Amino acid sequence: MPSCSSIDPLVTPYIDGELAPADRALLEEHLRRCAPCRSRVVAEQSVRELVRERKPVLCRDHAPALLRSHCAAAARFNMAKAPGRHGAISVAPDKGWTAWLAPVGAAASLVVIVGGAFLYQATARSSHLLAAELAADHMKCFAMNAVLGTQQSADAVQSSMASSFGWNMRLPLGSEREGLELVGSRPCLYGEGKIAHIMYRHNGQPLSLFMLPRSERPEELVETLGHECVIWSAADRTFVLVSRESRADVERLAAYVHAAMPDPATPR
Amino acid sequence: MTLARTSPMRRGRAKSTQPEADARIRAAFEAEALASVDSLYRTALRLTRVPADAEDLVQETYLKAFRAADQFAPGTNLRAWLFTILHNTARNRARDRSRESVTVDSDAVDQAADAPSYGLSTPVATPEALLLRETLTPELQAAVDELPEAFRQAVWLRDVEEFSYAEIADMLNIPVGTVMSRISRGRRMLFDRLQHLNPVHA
Repeated sequence: MPSCSSIDPLVTPYIDGELAPADRALLEEHLRRCAPCRSRVVAEQSVRELVRERKPVLCRDHAPALLRSHCAAAARFNMAKAPGRHGAISVAPDKGWTAWLAPVGAAASLVVIVGGAFLYQATARSSHLLAAELAADHMKCFAMNAVLGTQQSADAVQSSMASSFGWNMRLPLGSEREGLELVGSRPCLYGEGKIAHIMYRHNGQPLSLFMLPRSERPEELVETLGHECVIWSAADRTFVLVSRESRADVERLAAYVHAAMPDPATPR
Repeated sequence: MTLARTSPMRRGRAKSTQPEADARIRAAFEAEALASVDSLYRTALRLTRVPADAEDLVQETYLKAFRAADQFAPGTNLRAWLFTILHNTARNRARDRSRESVTVDSDAVDQAADAPSYGLSTPVATPEALLLRETLTPELQAAVDELPEAFRQAVWLRDVEEFSYAEIADMLNIPVGTVMSRISRGRRMLFDRLQHLNPVHA
């Protein structure tokens, strides 16, 4: 008869019904002759059944609504490509993902050129609704960012826009005197399509620049949800600058971005 | 219906572009990943015992998962992959929190569990096993929560979350054999605790 210690590794898979027939026969033969092992198996089996039977009650904790929405917002922070495109094996990504967080200098950058084909139309909505939704996105994205302290380089923003949208954008360096520090970018869902969201800090305050493809709106300044939102259009796209800073500051920065935009006739 | 609605968007293009295809894959990935938020949260609660810490852990898990989406191998178990990230994150946090190694030394844990004698020496009668069914759920929950971490994780991941031995081995970063022995010991420890609550002679 096999010893108790030699059949020990077979006990758990036996109880879980995952043992091959030959091993099962071997173990059952042992159990017929060994009362202590029989007791052990009965004890473990009964606990397994009890826990599984009570699973619905053990599982009644649900993720709080706020956590749920934070996790959904985390998806908006992706800069990675579609899952598995490189055929990478499934490994714990503790190393890989940090590559996205490579810290960069505080060089201020501005978007001056947005080119390439836009794939979607942004839905026509009232300016106030547009501003409110974008202000909410602005808060959500920065809240997520606070968790990680992400900082993306201009190159990372450019390649993320290229891979997410097929947009060719250029983020030339050199606007330190405006005090704008690039934080990162992400594609946001808006209406039926995606819009670009570029995040900055200005004097330490979060500031967002949204770009909506193929749309035109009258210039407007909307105050919503405690934020100032400046809306303007140029070169067949609409820009929205969102910040909690003073109206004068926000208007000044909007004017700066506006002025930094190329003439539509200028080739990129 | 769906075709009729989407076709105007497609008109004029021979086929969908790569960014569009990527966006669709990405959206499906995100939706499937987010469907696991409840079970990740419950498991995080078993790990941290503090709701705020559990929430934090789950949030970080999703941030990492979405950033590392291109490392996920399609066709493999996304839920298991998320659980692996959750456990790695929890281990890293524990390591960061305390300088004296919190890394689980399997041998030490297993020896500690062996110290009191479980099961093997005392034959267990079937009536006692049957009596186990009388256990109240709060008692069961408390008994699970009181298990030493290594055994609690193994039993929880197997009997509640129903992962395979290999998946659990990946999550806990231990050999499959150790997973099985921890499940076994965890179940026996639970049995002993619960028996204590339901003495046969009561």
